[in-house]
Amino acid sequence: MKKQALLLVGSAHQPRSTSQSLGEYLLERLAKGGLDTETLFLHRALRSEETTEELLAAVDRADPVILAFPLYVDTLPYLVTRTLELLAAHRQDRDLPGGQRLLVIVNCGFPEAAHNAVALEICRRFARETGFTWAGGLALGGGGAINGRPLSQVQGLARNVIRALDMTAEALLRGEAAPPAAVALMERPMIPAWLYIRIGHRLWKRQARKYGTSGRLMARPFVPS
Amino acid sequence: MKAVLLDGSRHGDSSSQLVRPAIATELKAHGWSLQPFTLRELEIHHCWGCFGCWVQTPGRCLINDVARDIAAAVINSDLVIHLTPVTFGGYSSELKKALDRMICLVSPFFTKIGGEIHHKPRYERFPYLLGIGTVEQADEELKRIFTKLVHRNAINMHAPAYAADVICTADGPEAVQLRVRSLIRAVEVEQ
Repeated sequence: MKKQALLLVGSAHQPRSTSQSLGEYLLERLAKGGLDTETLFLHRALRSEETTEELLAAVDRADPVILAFPLYVDTLPYLVTRTLELLAAHRQDRDLPGGQRLLVIVNCGFPEAAHNAVALEICRRFARETGFTWAGGLALGGGGAINGRPLSQVQGLARNVIRALDMTAEALLRGEAAPPAAVALMERPMIPAWLYIRIGHRLWKRQARKYGTSGRLMARPFVPS
Repeated sequence: MKAVLLDGSRHGDSSSQLVRPAIATELKAHGWSLQPFTLRELEIHHCWGCFGCWVQTPGRCLINDVARDIAAAVINSDLVIHLTPVTFGGYSSELKKALDRMICLVSPFFTKIGGEIHHKPRYERFPYLLGIGTVEQADEELKRIFTKLVHRNAINMHAPAYAADVICTADGPEAVQLRVRSLIRAVEVEQ
């Protein structure tokens, strides 16, 4: 049976997320390499028992499984945490196909990729406890610079990201894990931290103008009056 | 002094059966008032990742549910306790669902802390943080990951100080009580 690569997108951000952009690019490379592909969004997959069953079945038949998500409060967001709990329960005491690989892509809104380290450790531990073969973890800082755009539209800015994902796709197609060079490339800042911060602050203020909240961004609604 | 307990235990698990009563007893003995939230019993929607709490209704999540009350309780407390079965080294989904909704307590703007970029605090003061994870069997790797996570939360949520540990519930009620006591003392010493 032909292998099917499965992308699980762990962001609920609409209309498009950076997690989706990163995962989709990798999936496209895997499709070009001859794999069938499937994408599931966890915020939809966890909506009902029926869709959750479909998610579990999709993971059962997939190799590799690619989990792409944003860092929330230093670790996996709820949607991903819940999915890992469900997968662990589902895979307990089961005859598993064996050798199923899990690759994780995590991005954060801080310029430094190092914020993602704990999340990757948790995913790696999950893989070990549930019988997945760890195919590597790619950590990206400054995810706001991509902001849900397809990587083809971010070209120069995301050149290291694209190279890292190309190298990862080649490795996965050879049956290998993401190489250390790809991990290192992904961790390289897309733009200097000072510039990222300056642009970020400007964008928050622009959004505040749009919503009529300029001057109130530092409001403290929960301080007792 | 006010403590808020975010109880991320699953129904019937050892966190709630052994550790939560120990927390309540020790806090009471030390003169704390306790506001517990049993998260599995509350209807909390997961974060949409929309950043509305930063730009549309600054400081308040767009989703109108009990997580708003939790955020208000947390920021007006002196100590917030994360209680959870250790889940691959991290928090349970019950706890994480609530914590994801707490980003309204920080600002969208950045600042540098310890050489790293973090979000600026929205409020003048934040509670101390105590992270208590439970496991049924001692596991050094889980403990290492969990305590590192609580440490990272303490930085990002501007806790003046924090304590964290993983308690093995197989050690029995007495050992659990002693461990909880020493963790609460550790936080009190910092205060």
